[in-house]
Amino acid sequence: MRRWGIASVSVVALVSIALSFGGVALAQQPPQLVSYRMASIPLDPTDRAWTDVRPHPVPLMTQALALPKLTAVTVPIVWVRSINDGTNIGFQVEWMDSTRDAHATQPNQFRDAAALMFPVGEVLPNICMGTPGQMTNMWHWKADWQEDIDRGFQEIREQFPNFFKDNYPYVTGVAPFRFPADFLAPEARAYFPGLAAGNPLSRFDRVTPVEEVNAIGFGTLTHRQSQEVIGRGVWANGRWQVTFVRTLAPADAEATSLTGAETRVAFAVWDGAQQQVGARKQLSNYVTTRISPAGPPAAAAPPAPPVIGTVISWQAILIIALLIPALAGTMGWIFWWRSEHGARG
Amino acid sequence: MVKVFNWQINREMEYPYAHTPPAKQFAAVFDINKCIACQTCTMACKNAWTAGRGQEYMLFNNVETKPYGFYPMGWDVNILRLLGPQTWRGPTYTGKTIFEAAPADRAAVGYIPENEDWANPNIGEDEALGTIDGGAYFTLPHPVWSFYLQRVCNHCTYPGCLAACPRKAIYKRPEDGIVLVDQERCRGYRECTRSCPFKKVMYNQVTRVAEKCLACYPRIEQGLQPYCTVTCIGRIRVNGWIHDPKQVDPESPVDFMVHVRKVALPLYPQFGLGVNIYYVPPIHVPPRYLTQMFGPGVERAIDTYRRAKDDPELLGALLLMGATPRWIEKFRVRDGIAMGYDARGAEIVRVPLTEPLHIRPAFDAARAVYRQNIT
Repeated sequence: MRRWGIASVSVVALVSIALSFGGVALAQQPPQLVSYRMASIPLDPTDRAWTDVRPHPVPLMTQALALPKLTAVTVPIVWVRSINDGTNIGFQVEWMDSTRDAHATQPNQFRDAAALMFPVGEVLPNICMGTPGQMTNMWHWKADWQEDIDRGFQEIREQFPNFFKDNYPYVTGVAPFRFPADFLAPEARAYFPGLAAGNPLSRFDRVTPVEEVNAIGFGTLTHRQSQEVIGRGVWANGRWQVTFVRTLAPADAEATSLTGAETRVAFAVWDGAQQQVGARKQLSNYVTTRISPAGPPAAAAPPAPPVIGTVISWQAILIIALLIPALAGTMGWIFWWRSEHGARG
Repeated sequence: MVKVFNWQINREMEYPYAHTPPAKQFAAVFDINKCIACQTCTMACKNAWTAGRGQEYMLFNNVETKPYGFYPMGWDVNILRLLGPQTWRGPTYTGKTIFEAAPADRAAVGYIPENEDWANPNIGEDEALGTIDGGAYFTLPHPVWSFYLQRVCNHCTYPGCLAACPRKAIYKRPEDGIVLVDQERCRGYRECTRSCPFKKVMYNQVTRVAEKCLACYPRIEQGLQPYCTVTCIGRIRVNGWIHDPKQVDPESPVDFMVHVRKVALPLYPQFGLGVNIYYVPPIHVPPRYLTQMFGPGVERAIDTYRRAKDDPELLGALLLMGATPRWIEKFRVRDGIAMGYDARGAEIVRVPLTEPLHIRPAFDAARAVYRQNIT
């Protein structure tokens, strides 16, 4: 019995040490995010051009400065890849999310989303969306916009297939009406107040799932006249992979130029199932990104981010590493006690 | 948070923004005693403002039966539960407002209703408090009761929706205090829906941004009262400007009923919103229930209302309800006639305090017919 006790302690200790080193290895991030040169930048996040690049882990924290705040992180980390083709640059953001929330049609329904934030100008703006005089440029991908593009504009019938209403003001055609085709007369459009007012969120004709915006602090998000970012998000097996692509040298000065050797970029993610929207988000600090004219190192083809239900953070590994020796010690002590006392009893 | 004074709770309270009073403040008085829940107001509003795709579930105006009617389901009992104990000491509210009870991560305490909560706007219609036992008879207040509560946006002095919007997409018009959602600026976060205790900011299912009652401001700009007021067949509503208690205009019908006679009361003043729709409480409902809904002035208001027949000015103000589609700036009562005036001082309506009595012979000789007794 004594031998079993020692053996169990040894095995568990070895496992814990291995895991600890694994944790350290995981925590040993590359010093910076590198955008590698590729022949082209595919929108499909599962393309080889993306999977050949080692993902860069970026930890996220709660937005806890402005109201409304996020009280708990549900997405603790995103994995980021970047590639460029000398003219355009692409970023791919990947994170674990057990629910695919791709609709924001119902009154209590919120979408998943992700965003990149770049500084505009030389001075690094406040991480909280900038400040007056220090503008930020953001690329905001929305899962509901992606759904609109992939499956057609999502409205009531997609959520309530048996829904029926017999008439609408100035509608053409007969019930059940075709949407939006029967609602496009100028008088009928007036009954979509957001659309009539020119709100970009209310448009039926989306061309990209990514909205490009500027901000100079909380509450100042402004839709840009010039929308240059395209993208694509795919959810599979509890994981979103979202690609953003834009020219390195945009036309106007309020979009961040990425023609230099380096840039800073921050990341944010929203979990729609948790009613995360607007300021209720998890965000990263600025990450330095080197824009390289060279391709990725040949040996760099990495494993995908580890998945055991969710991404293992280094904190989780540390806890496991501490718990296992404690468990091993307890087991060893039980075996020892039984071998010492159990035989007599 | 800054300190602002809210006369409806007779004390200072915390609010995210300093008080910047509009030039005028939109307000209304609804006389609950006269409502028959015909929903003409609801349909007028629906046809005017929420007939579009994506607005099917939205009723900027609704009439619900109390105590068991709700739109959305349980809106009042839910927020009262979240708010915690609501205590008054005389005219002063000693509990917490929705801003003072806010958790650390939000501007106000609140919640977003479930999708299904909006699905039955007329639930509880005409349901009374309980069953009527054999041998029961009416007393005042009624032992078994229900009443109709007419609800629109309160165009609050301290709106919860405005306080919660992180984008300042909700604003109070400086000229008339009407609270609006900027349709271009809103991004559909629904912090407003969460923080409006009355749940009168709603999410358009197609445009994906928030919308709310706009007090028919295009009508007001033309000197007209809103659709819900002018279509009311029970003539229970009147609109007007309300002033601070220190600057009361006794010739404004709303000021007169709210500040001078104190016959019309704010809905749930304990929320701390400084609501601007006022209600004449129903005289047949036990004051205990009404006090949690309209604050400590209920018994006095009911007493004053029951003696209105001996109070020509109050009777005049009440009779001007629904008497004209025009906006009544001022009113006067003289020689048994209540008169309403527009902003230029021109008379726009005239109502006798006592309807003249005409007695006609049963036989109409001109048409050679007998008249039916149609009273």
